[in-house]
Amino acid sequence: MWSDVITLFREYMGTGLIVIWFLLSLVYLWIREKRKHFRILFVYVPVILLLLFFNPLFARIVYGAVGNEIYYRILWLLPITLTIAFAGADIYGQLRGRTKYVFAVCAAVLIMVSGSFVYNNPYFRKAENRYHVPQSVVDICDAIEVEGREVTAVFPAELLQYVRQYSGKVCMPYGREILVERWTHLNDLYDVMEAEVIDAESLTRKAREQACNYIILPADKEILGNLADYHFERFGETGGYVIYRDGDW
Amino acid sequence: MVQTCQLILWELMIPTVVGILFFNVDKCSGKLPFLWMSGQMLLWAVFQLVCVPFTLAQVDFVYLAWTYGILTGILLIAAVVTGRAKFSLLLAGRELKRNRKDLLLWGIFWALLLFQLIQAVRMTYGDGDDAYYVAMTTITNDAGTMYRKLPYTGGATELDVRHGLAPFPIWIAFLAEASGLESATTVHIAVPLMLIAMTYGIFYLIGGKLFAGKSGQLPVFLIFTELLVLFGDYSYYTAENFMIARSRQGKAALGNIVIPALFLMLIVLLEHWQEKKKLTLRYWVLLCCVMITGCLCSTLGALLCCMLTGVTALCGAVTYRRWKELVFVGICFIPCAAFALLYLIQN
Repeated sequence: MWSDVITLFREYMGTGLIVIWFLLSLVYLWIREKRKHFRILFVYVPVILLLLFFNPLFARIVYGAVGNEIYYRILWLLPITLTIAFAGADIYGQLRGRTKYVFAVCAAVLIMVSGSFVYNNPYFRKAENRYHVPQSVVDICDAIEVEGREVTAVFPAELLQYVRQYSGKVCMPYGREILVERWTHLNDLYDVMEAEVIDAESLTRKAREQACNYIILPADKEILGNLADYHFERFGETGGYVIYRDGDW
Repeated sequence: MVQTCQLILWELMIPTVVGILFFNVDKCSGKLPFLWMSGQMLLWAVFQLVCVPFTLAQVDFVYLAWTYGILTGILLIAAVVTGRAKFSLLLAGRELKRNRKDLLLWGIFWALLLFQLIQAVRMTYGDGDDAYYVAMTTITNDAGTMYRKLPYTGGATELDVRHGLAPFPIWIAFLAEASGLESATTVHIAVPLMLIAMTYGIFYLIGGKLFAGKSGQLPVFLIFTELLVLFGDYSYYTAENFMIARSRQGKAALGNIVIPALFLMLIVLLEHWQEKKKLTLRYWVLLCCVMITGCLCSTLGALLCCMLTGVTALCGAVTYRRWKELVFVGICFIPCAAFALLYLIQN
């Protein structure tokens, strides 16, 4: 338990520099801040919360109630941003003349060097439309939706997490849960869909078993056989994906 | 255009007017960000108190939308009748005049805020959890049910009580319904714009408390907070990362709006205790609303809000010997305790 909590804290800290600035700010405020109510909120409370976070008994109770995945969120109670900014602006206020501006610039640079620019995160990309889902998902869903009822379609793995964000009327035999390894969801159809070479007979049979009206495949996917031989007609192609429709539907 | 106007109405104007109900809570309560934040907290708390019973009773979304709409209307009328808008706007105007000499610093602050708002529209962050939360909003709008369909696949399921106790996605569905915007656009654009702006509004209020009478430090404080948020991606878990990357999720609102708002409320609490002043009933109502909003955002919200409030109030009570007022703090815990109990029973 103790080691889990330590690991969690280490992961939360990242490089650790921002947390070091936080702790230094805490010490600075402890020494400098004379207003009691701010001392309580920005010095004593964070220290007590940190002690609680590292308390194995407390951790055991919270783990038992909400699980270990979200225990780190207790650290959100530490006013890291507010404390560093408070200490920084306070020091800025103590200085006079040009020194205060030099300090402000140095502090800003220090924050930038210590942290990591959020838009450099590899999961960020330019939005393709106002729905913030891939345009191919929008085009496919618009093409296969039927007024007044739901349709079921099987999608390639890379589109799974977006489909139902855009349309609640397009159902799927499996969704994002299949991609999360620790949830150990299994689906035969997924295995066939994600195989290097797709077996048309197997794919159409399993898709029908799971009541799929449509099959969506990347245009460059290698297919053994022809889906049309099993009554899945080519319905259209958009954004690098081919839509097949169950002819018997 | 009409949709944008309706969105501004529901995200900005209605909460700000409702916020007039908390006009006498504190010295800072005449400022526009306070009115906006406090009004929205009350509306969120009302939403949580209505939505959870409706979800558990498996009532359709349309009835929830009507009920919440009517309750919002009642609160709006109550606020207008209270009628102190002119005075509050006057206060806000005075604040702006006082800060004119720090124009350059304020300019940097606004430029950085504008950058974040533009990026919220321009950029998208591919987060797997959206497949649950955003889909839940979309399903609610498309199918009219709440937590009775599997968001990942669309199949029918038993009521998902665990997530249903923190129905932030349903509030977004209401926003989409009321504004007429598509669910995905509301979630990915409208909500982040509102939440990012509100976070800095709360930081502004906190900064105002920290640097009361030293206006030159306030914009510097805000610029530092902006930089710490923008460069807060030093780990996957930080609240700052959630604020920019996953702002549409309830947990992001918990970390960046509810907890800072709670900090502000606790500053007001300790300030009053220090000055030996009595807190108004409306203060306690607002504190309770902030804590209930924590439950709306995340199932862990109840614990986090109670922890922060409890530890701070205890420290304050020891320091200022205000034991009696711990009873009011205890009363504010009741809704959180009830939601936490429901969660534990269902798990």
